[in-house]
Amino acid sequence: MSHSLTFSKQAYSLEAIKRAAYRFSDRLSVEIIPHDEVTECVCSFLNVCSDDEAQRTLASFRTEVLDHDLRLTIAKETEPMRNAILAYAFSKTGLQGSE
Amino acid sequence: MHSPRPGFRAVSKFESLFAYEKPLTDGYKLLPFRFTPFDDQNYVLTNQVGEFLVLDRPTVETFVRHHLPADNPAYNDLKSKHFLLDSDSSVGIDLLALKARTKLRRFANFTGLHMFVVSLRCDHSCPYCQVSRQSDDKIAYDMSTETAEKSLELVFRSPSPNIKIEFQGGEPLLNFPLIKFIVERAKSINELQKRNLQFVIATNLANINDEMLEFCRVHNILISTSLDGPADLHNKNRPRPGNDSYQRTIEGINRVRSTLGRNQVNALMTTSKASLGRVKDIIDEYVRQDFNGIFLRTMSPYGFAIKTKWYEAYHSNEWLKFYFDGLDYILELNRAGHVFVEYYAAIILAKMLTPFEPGFVDLRSPAGIGIGAIIYNYDGDVYASDEGRMLAEMGDKTFLLGNVHKNTYEEIILSDALLAPIEESFAASVPMCTDCAFEPFCGANPVFHHATTGDFVGHKPTSEFCEKSMGIFRHLIELMRSDVEVRRIFTKWANQAC
Repeated sequence: MSHSLTFSKQAYSLEAIKRAAYRFSDRLSVEIIPHDEVTECVCSFLNVCSDDEAQRTLASFRTEVLDHDLRLTIAKETEPMRNAILAYAFSKTGLQGSE
Repeated sequence: MHSPRPGFRAVSKFESLFAYEKPLTDGYKLLPFRFTPFDDQNYVLTNQVGEFLVLDRPTVETFVRHHLPADNPAYNDLKSKHFLLDSDSSVGIDLLALKARTKLRRFANFTGLHMFVVSLRCDHSCPYCQVSRQSDDKIAYDMSTETAEKSLELVFRSPSPNIKIEFQGGEPLLNFPLIKFIVERAKSINELQKRNLQFVIATNLANINDEMLEFCRVHNILISTSLDGPADLHNKNRPRPGNDSYQRTIEGINRVRSTLGRNQVNALMTTSKASLGRVKDIIDEYVRQDFNGIFLRTMSPYGFAIKTKWYEAYHSNEWLKFYFDGLDYILELNRAGHVFVEYYAAIILAKMLTPFEPGFVDLRSPAGIGIGAIIYNYDGDVYASDEGRMLAEMGDKTFLLGNVHKNTYEEIILSDALLAPIEESFAASVPMCTDCAFEPFCGANPVFHHATTGDFVGHKPTSEFCEKSMGIFRHLIELMRSDVEVRRIFTKWANQAC
């Protein structure tokens, strides 16, 4: 049996949804279908489970998508800082190229 | 009231309270970090160097959205652990860069551990053995002096200032003349090389004699042996003719201590199905034998452990319960005043609580294969790791890098067999690991994933390595959160493991 979840394209990136789908691939097979306004996820459970369990898993999947959205925000915002810290960390080692 | 002298600026020992009450309007910048659900309410956050915090989900979201006020209790924790940068944390970047450089410095040293399989022969027939052994009368499975000489040439091509040569088997003492040759030759080469050179013999001690002990004493050689627990369990796990493995091991440990010194011998255990309900007995045995700690090791999916199906005999959940029960018991001992360490936890805690990277091969990313440790087999074949050699004994030569008689150092170290698994399994660019807050404590382990799933990365949501590792990371953090005394004990362990 499959369940359909939708995510607003304005609020959630495709990347966040894909990452969440991978994270849940031990429990769910997720088909991702982009529409004009929303991204639809058709979720099929890999093993038989009760309705309660199914609802809990789907709710966790929604939270996971939101988590990945936050992670992408952090990654984007901190990318220059991440590179700067590593460049600074190795600035005196002589390991960098001369360019 | 005195006025300050020219050029002298009066300072107070502490900043005023006002200095700590940062106005919201100043704002803050996020520093790189990851987060992962910890329990139903909380998330664990780790920064670029593995410093961690546990915060509830609303706080994390508020923080990421730049709405966390400076008077929130989490603000100073986030600031002091380098998760944010504000206008008065000017040294934050310098400190973080220093810690990052310290964490990564081991990688620049390159290969430090060089393992020599001097013989594949063994007098034991352990069903969980990770190496397919040969009976002890087959000289064909001994390393030759020519192969040893060629291997030593490669050892000293490594730029590492610290070189550890470990003799492995089979049972290496069955080819003791070659051990003598390698030690003496390596020391001779090192007179010019001036490396920090160490030797270890991994032996079951069943055949150690006075000549061997005297040689180990003269050359300051460490002994690493196997002790699986009390006599009945040890002998069940480690059968040999006469069923006297335990007796020989204990006698050997005592002889090593009396000749070389108490701390010149260490022991390792492997968890079999029969060990599962007996973690206290096993730890008590280590206490009785006067060891300072124990390494509670799971079984590995290689060699005879697969052929005999011993590897499949228990699930990772059962091993985690065994491990957690053992850790609880060890903490009880410490609380009662008996200083005793669980070494696997100590390695992980060093990653969590110190700026240092202990360099344990299974918990490194990029993977430690080849660049952290390398193995020279009895026949001259070079493998990226001991586990890679074990796979080869099962017919899978994926991690064969070359042969000391046929290939140069450059050909071996730059081979696709080494570079491909290191590059593909690099945790910072692997699905799920890239987002995982536990990544700074974890490792890539491409050999395990290749052995169990057929590719270097594996499928993380179902990976047994992930399940065991994350189970332990969560447990250690939870223990520290719930008990200040445990935090104090763990900090000591962490500092010892660096």
